[in-house]
Amino acid sequence: MRNHTHPKFAVVGHPNKGKSSIVSALALDDSVQISDTPGTTSKKRSFPLKVDGKILYELIDTPGFQRARRVLQWLEQHDVRADKKHEVVYAFINEHREDARFNDEIELLEPVMEGAGIIYVVDGSKPYGEEYEAEMEVLRWTGQPSMALINHIDESDYSQEWKRALGQYFKMIRTFNPMQTDLDQHISILESMAQLKEEWIAPVKASIKLFERYQEQKLDQSSQLITELITDALGHMEKLTLSDDEITDSQKEEIEINYKEKLRHFEVDVQKKIEEIWDHAHLQKEQSALTFEDLDLFSQEAASVFGLTRKELIITGVTSGAVTGAGIDLLFAGHTLLLGGAIGGLVGAAGAYFGFDELSDVKVLGQTLGKRTLVMGPMKNRNFPYILLGRALFYTSKTASRSHASRNVADFKMDSTFKEKWLDEGLRKSLEDCHKKFRSENEVQTKVLEEYTMLIKTILIKLIRGRST
Amino acid sequence: MNLKSYVDLYTLLQTDTSSKEERRAFGLSHILDKKRPVEQLLSWVESQQDRLKKPTLSETFSSYLYTVTFTLVVIGFVLGILSGIALLSYNGHEPVNVVYFMAMVIALPLFTMILTLLSMFKTKNAQSALVHISPSYWMEKILKLFSGKTLNHIDTLKINPLLANWIVIKRAQGIALFFSFGLLVSLLIVVATKDIAFAWSTTLQIVPKSFHSFINTVAFPWKDWVPTAVPSLELIEQSQYFRLGDKLNEEMIANASKLGEWWKFLTLSTLFYAIILRFLMFVITSFGLRYALKRSFLTLEGASTLLRDINEPIISTHATTAEKPFVSSTQNEIQTLCHLDASYDVLQGWSIPQDQLRVMSDSMQIISPNLFEVGGGNSLQEDSEIVSKSHGEVLLFVKAWEPPTMDLMDYLEELLQKADKVIIYPVGSANEGYRTESRFIDIWAKKLALFNHEKVCLLDTNSKVADA
Repeated sequence: MRNHTHPKFAVVGHPNKGKSSIVSALALDDSVQISDTPGTTSKKRSFPLKVDGKILYELIDTPGFQRARRVLQWLEQHDVRADKKHEVVYAFINEHREDARFNDEIELLEPVMEGAGIIYVVDGSKPYGEEYEAEMEVLRWTGQPSMALINHIDESDYSQEWKRALGQYFKMIRTFNPMQTDLDQHISILESMAQLKEEWIAPVKASIKLFERYQEQKLDQSSQLITELITDALGHMEKLTLSDDEITDSQKEEIEINYKEKLRHFEVDVQKKIEEIWDHAHLQKEQSALTFEDLDLFSQEAASVFGLTRKELIITGVTSGAVTGAGIDLLFAGHTLLLGGAIGGLVGAAGAYFGFDELSDVKVLGQTLGKRTLVMGPMKNRNFPYILLGRALFYTSKTASRSHASRNVADFKMDSTFKEKWLDEGLRKSLEDCHKKFRSENEVQTKVLEEYTMLIKTILIKLIRGRST
Repeated sequence: MNLKSYVDLYTLLQTDTSSKEERRAFGLSHILDKKRPVEQLLSWVESQQDRLKKPTLSETFSSYLYTVTFTLVVIGFVLGILSGIALLSYNGHEPVNVVYFMAMVIALPLFTMILTLLSMFKTKNAQSALVHISPSYWMEKILKLFSGKTLNHIDTLKINPLLANWIVIKRAQGIALFFSFGLLVSLLIVVATKDIAFAWSTTLQIVPKSFHSFINTVAFPWKDWVPTAVPSLELIEQSQYFRLGDKLNEEMIANASKLGEWWKFLTLSTLFYAIILRFLMFVITSFGLRYALKRSFLTLEGASTLLRDINEPIISTHATTAEKPFVSSTQNEIQTLCHLDASYDVLQGWSIPQDQLRVMSDSMQIISPNLFEVGGGNSLQEDSEIVSKSHGEVLLFVKAWEPPTMDLMDYLEELLQKADKVIIYPVGSANEGYRTESRFIDIWAKKLALFNHEKVCLLDTNSKVADA
């Protein structure tokens, strides 16, 4: 019964102390039912960390103790040596398997007796009580390796009295807030879990490595997705087939509406995929957060929060144009008297100035073939990629940082200082170089796309983990 | 790696509905080097052939491309022959001016090859003018007007501009090559069937010596190998032709047999400049097309995701089973009181020590002769003894933040056999002045409503509801 190939950890404790929240945060699963009502978890549920189908470790969410004193009384009726105590627990399970009164205790004791390490969860924001002792005593009877995890559901702090009490039963006590967890805390808890049993150290350490790789995968996928969003949006061409010779204002209006709608659709689609990547498929959000109704993609507010100011845009245009011009100077070994750089800078600045408000040209194509098509795109607005990128980065960083234990409606409040958190002079120049290539109707080289994706990944790491690579 | 597999991959990616798991399963069963992504994609295309509907888009496209190319090549060859015959037409009155033919087999190929080389640097551009001025591009546009349903099928294919440009460039080289073959064939036929007097003529002030030096430069690739194919200064002098005068000069007539010698030079010029160099261009464009194809494979929409799914291990942390939705509802309502009485028959605290209970009752100004701690550290027997001492109205303090367990419900059931009324009073911690948050009261109210016993009621001092 104790033979298994991978470590298992049963998260146990008093009802409503955040067991499911902890499992949800550690398993990155936002589908776990979490509520204030005790008894939400009535059956044990396994959350394996799998790589290509192979389980590396398993977390088990269990119902809370309901009749711990009664179980302990039954166990204590059997006066046995310490090495036989676990057999008494087996006997209890076997005898009460069909007894509905002990359903929750059987559900939580079964995985423990199958060899799972015990993670006993308490709420450190509420005072310690004697009623917990029966539970801890029952767990001691199982003889399984164990640790205590102090969760902080509310703001008060009783962790010192909890530590004194838990210290009587557990060798290892850790604090973990599933609502504010990050990668480092997550790994730290996994490392503690590995210490429970010597033979678990290697597999859990391997799991930690894999977990880090999993995070890398998410960052890679998100960066790639954002790159696709920017290239697709900048290169998109909306077409409207014309029946008459004359182009009416309503047709122009129609194509502009369709064009903007398509770009919005690109954004919403990517937001959905970002949620899936970061395992937030059940994310509840206010409609305003989804469509950015108040900060619409094409609004002036969005431009001021996410995009560049006209001044910043002109500086970027000057630098980027001057770099191209300087290349010409270099080619002619300075015989152009650095005119290349100056002209390039002026051209860049002019482009930036005039490209601030403009979205895209509306052109008529296909006249020669008799079939006329009204075309809008690709995007000419120099600021648009910064707005779109800023919003995508904002959305991704918020989604990635959100705890999987959180069940409240996400309200991604946009901060006017957000741009300062990720955009600096050097980055702006590098991004502009790529945006220029995306705007052209030429095929974008894979190398450029890879460079852009890498830039985005670096920004995301900075935003999510608060540090540079 | 060819156009067919590219189009197959395009079609498969457009209609692919395979899951990440299926793609990863392919990756695990086809161990291929991650650094050779094109091979991985080709292998995937191979494994998915069954999904392609016949006739496949790649077959239609290949057949269309073959037909168009073949037609254009034939047209090019015929045009070459006709051009050659026109250039070499000789009526016996005037010699054939070699300058025209040289322009066609040396200058024109060199000029178009320079254009081709320039267009190779602009292949990334979807609107490359250099590519679009190619005759093969326009000839295909014209041919398109004659194609029917095939074109509708192919129109669904959105080919990478880089690849499309390289296809046009390579095809242009093929057509030009066959055009040059046509010229060569016509030259050989005309030379074999007619006795042609070649001459050179120009309005420019070029002396035979300079022209000889120019011809020598042109003939540098073969002058050491085939010296007879390089016209001598003497021949050049003899074959200079002036249009003024209504008959050939006498020297020309005297050396009529030598004037035909030019054909060797013209043949080797055609062979080298129009055919060999063009063939080299054709080979270069074949490499270019191959390179474009390789890049296009990787830039196809969905290809990078497919490769990622094939190569990246699937890591999952989620539950393997779905959770049964939790439903907690009852029609019952618990009787709620909102005021404390001054005294009770028995005061009990669930897991609240007796001394703390005393402090609480004092602070709330409640009098009772009997104060007991129940639950908590008590044994079940100790609780039973307390129950046996209980009677009348019992005020049971409970910690509001601790959810009601079945242990408490069991005790309550036992207590109700002795007591007339049990009032459950959830209290906050001492630090909170025993005040309770309404969210905790709600939890207790729900649980007690489920318990549904007429002798049990809940005390909620926050509640404004009048006592029942």
